[in-house]
Amino acid sequence: MRGLRYAFLLTATAIMPLAGQRPISVTGIQSLTFGILLPGMPTVVSRTDPVKSGRFDLGGPHDTQGQVSFSLPSVLTGPAGATLPLFFSGSDAGYSQSQNIGSQIGFDPKQPFLVTFSGQGRGSVFLGGTAQPAPTQRAGSYSGTITLNLTAFP
Amino acid sequence: MYTASKAALATLVLALVAGTTVRAQGVNGSITATASVQSPIAVAGVQNLAFGNVFPGVAKTVAYSDATNAGRFDVTGQASTPVTYSFTLPGNLTTGGNNLPIGSWTGYLNGANSTSGGAAITPSSTPAGSTLSAGGTLYFFVGATVTPPVNLPAGSYTGTVTLTVSY
Repeated sequence: MRGLRYAFLLTATAIMPLAGQRPISVTGIQSLTFGILLPGMPTVVSRTDPVKSGRFDLGGPHDTQGQVSFSLPSVLTGPAGATLPLFFSGSDAGYSQSQNIGSQIGFDPKQPFLVTFSGQGRGSVFLGGTAQPAPTQRAGSYSGTITLNLTAFP
Repeated sequence: MYTASKAALATLVLALVAGTTVRAQGVNGSITATASVQSPIAVAGVQNLAFGNVFPGVAKTVAYSDATNAGRFDVTGQASTPVTYSFTLPGNLTTGGNNLPIGSWTGYLNGANSTSGGAAITPSSTPAGSTLSAGGTLYFFVGATVTPPVNLPAGSYTGTVTLTVSY
């Protein structure tokens, strides 16, 4: 007697989503501060300046990689819509796995950069730049927003 | 007779895949970038310190409050901003190789163009600090005394008083 044979092959697979791992994060820690400028006098802030450089702290799965990229303004905006040109060189950004401003790997903030989180799942990105006020630059306060994007892959 | 439906080997493969589509995670954070542009400082010598006619052996003083003869500098810059100022003062007014000693410098500093409501200063004791007015101005008034020797030759004697102001 033959019975129907049914063969069921049930395959069930499940993939654990990354939600089960440490979530990734980006936190803005310190503003990029050019301070007091005079018209016609460019001012440079180094990424190693502990007071004036910008800083972001990163969080993610330990010992894994992520990719960072910046959204950088080309100008700061000031009184009555006046704009102050801003420039970033090929070494104005730096990554430190140890979150130590004195221990960075420099990179071009205009290009994406691969980072590796520390054994504790952390890292920091530091940012410098150059502000170049025109000789006729209007006096006043200027500001802009810098965004750091972090993408991590499972 | 066992009639069995055609034996059918039904193989049902049920693949159930449970889970999410693998996607990259993306997050972002922001900071601000800031700068403060200040007005440049401008210093203008607007009135010379003028002793007029002097006579050998007779000292002559021009007070800083002398509206016609006192020296005056007008300074403009960023409103309400601290500045440092210093004077470079001659020891003599000269003509050719002849010297007319000058000294006992007096001065006055004010945010307005007036020798009242401000503060007396000592031009020979600088650098010193002050603050630009709410309108971004400072006025410096300067006086001094010349002491011509009894045998000083006649002539026109001149010297340069320099005021330096910085943020």
